[in-house]
Amino acid sequence: MAEQHILSGIKVVDFTHFVAGPHCTRLLAQHGAEVIKVEPLTGDPARGLPFVKDKRSGCFIQHNIGKKNLCLDLGRSEAQRICHELIKNADVMVENFTPGAMQRLNMDWETLKEINPELIMCSISCLGQTGPLSRQPGFDYIGQAYSGIMGSIGDKDGYPSLTGMAFGDVSTGAHAYGAIVSALFHKLHGGGGQYLDISLLDCLFSYHAAHVQMYAASDGAVNPPRCGHHHALLCPLGLFECHGQYVVIVAIGAQWENLLKLIGREDMLTDPLFVDLLARGVNQQLIIDAIENWLASTTDIDDALEKLKQNHVPCAPVLSIPEVMEHPHMVGREIVQTIDDKLFGPVKIPASPFKYSLFPEPLNLQAGTLGEHNHQILSDHLGYSDEQIKQLEIDGISAVANA
Amino acid sequence: MTQPMLEGFKVIDFTHVVAGPHATKILAEHGAEVIKIEPLGGELARLLPMQREGRSAYFIQHNVGKKTMALDISTKEGQDICHELIKTADVVVENFSPGVMKQHNLDWKTLKKINPDLIMCSISCFGQTGPLSHLPGYDWIGQSYAGIIDLLGEPGQKPVFGDIAFGDVSTGAHAFGAIVTALLHKTRGGKGQHIDISLMEVLFSYHEMGVQLYDTTGGQMLVQRSGSYHGMLAPVGIYQCKDKYLFILGVNHQWEGLSKAMGREDMFADPRFSDLTTMGQHKDEINAAIEAWLDSVGDIDRALELLRENRVPCAPILTLAEVMDHPHTKERGTVRTVSDPIFGDIRIPRTPLRFSEFPDTPNLQAGTLGQYNHEILRDQLGYSEQQIARLETDGVIASKNI
Repeated sequence: MAEQHILSGIKVVDFTHFVAGPHCTRLLAQHGAEVIKVEPLTGDPARGLPFVKDKRSGCFIQHNIGKKNLCLDLGRSEAQRICHELIKNADVMVENFTPGAMQRLNMDWETLKEINPELIMCSISCLGQTGPLSRQPGFDYIGQAYSGIMGSIGDKDGYPSLTGMAFGDVSTGAHAYGAIVSALFHKLHGGGGQYLDISLLDCLFSYHAAHVQMYAASDGAVNPPRCGHHHALLCPLGLFECHGQYVVIVAIGAQWENLLKLIGREDMLTDPLFVDLLARGVNQQLIIDAIENWLASTTDIDDALEKLKQNHVPCAPVLSIPEVMEHPHMVGREIVQTIDDKLFGPVKIPASPFKYSLFPEPLNLQAGTLGEHNHQILSDHLGYSDEQIKQLEIDGISAVANA
Repeated sequence: MTQPMLEGFKVIDFTHVVAGPHATKILAEHGAEVIKIEPLGGELARLLPMQREGRSAYFIQHNVGKKTMALDISTKEGQDICHELIKTADVVVENFSPGVMKQHNLDWKTLKKINPDLIMCSISCFGQTGPLSHLPGYDWIGQSYAGIIDLLGEPGQKPVFGDIAFGDVSTGAHAFGAIVTALLHKTRGGKGQHIDISLMEVLFSYHEMGVQLYDTTGGQMLVQRSGSYHGMLAPVGIYQCKDKYLFILGVNHQWEGLSKAMGREDMFADPRFSDLTTMGQHKDEINAAIEAWLDSVGDIDRALELLRENRVPCAPILTLAEVMDHPHTKERGTVRTVSDPIFGDIRIPRTPLRFSEFPDTPNLQAGTLGQYNHEILRDQLGYSEQQIARLETDGVIASKNI
């Protein structure tokens, strides 16, 4: 059974699919909560996302380890009754349908708080539960487009760049996790249940660490455009070419002097063209050329990085996913976790970034097959007899598939 | 009125710039008492733009709700004050390079002796251990080492630089989640503990697909930067309509709607575009058809309307200015205003955690440098005015109206 972790004993009923919602409930499971994931008869669509082997998806496994799987036809009142019974004794319910869908399934907050006033319900959506855009179907990239994030990445005069990963989904799941634990904490102190409205748009917009206040406080005068390979206002801060590869260099503080000494351009220290951050931003092409000239004079990228590091200039190689996974630092910190899936075999996934001194080891968790725990949950949690459970299957209200 | 969720909890905050301050800002917004300890000259963020009358809006954005002290923590007296504060605190948060807290006798080993129930959270670029841990870290350095910058830009060309510190802010949010989890553990009878949050690891967890894809295909399927269109699936990407851009996703059941919107039902019926695999193989043709259709429509609003009528997920690619003025973000209060006594009104992003019991973000302010030196030393540690004055004379504490 579940090993001890911080959220042991906390019960979660999970109506999530794809990434943002499942990542949140995965974090709850990794902290020891009992997560019952309720899927429709066709399963979470993530079960079809690549890579799929023997009908088993590596992507589904990544976001669904540690959950118990119940498979029900949520359109049927009998299935809804089962969910209500589970929610009656649950601490948390999480869902990420398009706003409005939970109401059609009699599973909205107004209904559920009558059933369990101590419940914490968390809705995760792309654009929020309210407002003119809320009913639109949402995906990570749609949140990125509406939050001004997508518009900030790419060449100034060209197309914006599509980011190759759904960082909005995963990080919104992590925000929802934080909100749920805060609400659990509140409940533990006698505060009762409540409803949480977490959206990708809100999370992604909050990532503008500087630009929102700059734009607003300058009355629109400072509105940094997409900036290609280098920061729009600060220099050196960006991507520099080095023997056909690329390095990130950040030398906007005290490191500026170190960098100039290293590249043999002390003359620039006293040059009025580079007197302060503002001037360096304006004359950034001259700085970029000077740095790239020096990079070309090094033996190779490793030589360049070594010299930069020795001179305390913040720098990094631009690593690909495999290079990250094989890097000795990442290997030592175990940022890749291997899940030994009983159908798929071993699958490597990013480990949870939550590291506690009292819980140094991640729990050894698995992702369930569709309806894997139907019998166990209906029988142990709700006291259904074997016959009743069989009848639900015959009536097509529940289903089990070994995938 | 319900009391805020973290009211009565005390946080001692040794953070600077973004990742750390964002974590303690969220703690403050949940009602915790956050005492931020800065060096005598103030932390770096106080110098970042926009500046007005020596006051930084950047600093304000990430430091609302904190009580500010300016203290020289390299002196024994400064350290004694910190230890005394930590003795009765619930949480310590810091984001120095690993090793710095130890130099100031403020490392976990020292602090847990002073307060065994303490929760200490260290936020860093690479984590507290491992060969890279000592390197200076910035958001983009974490993005590079996490394999994220490699995914931005045109295939085969120089990657692009995304000027958004999404790593810093979202790492702060992860730290917040971890801290509240540890507080919950303590409330249920657990002990204090140390939390090690690394920006690079947070960013690496954002590969929702790429890591397992690479691993399970034995390296055959590697996510790579693919410009404005998705590298494997079609149609997914950024398309141009006149001088504007929009995002369109038309895979699976949305493909039918998209074909209809374009008046290209013939494409929907074409066996070359019958499933995800074949569509991926013919992505250039599909993307070209969409661009041609958008050219013929010639108006982004009309194009979005046609797409929405057919339930095709789509979005205009907004500039920051357009986001801030959009009726949706206005109705939801995604942008909020902080009224700073020195700077004036500043608009910043609202913290994205929305609770039904706490619908309004509390109206908090960012402190000036050392604003709370006197109050905290006097009220919390029982220092006399004379003692406080001597600390000022000796240069252990300082204050400035910035």
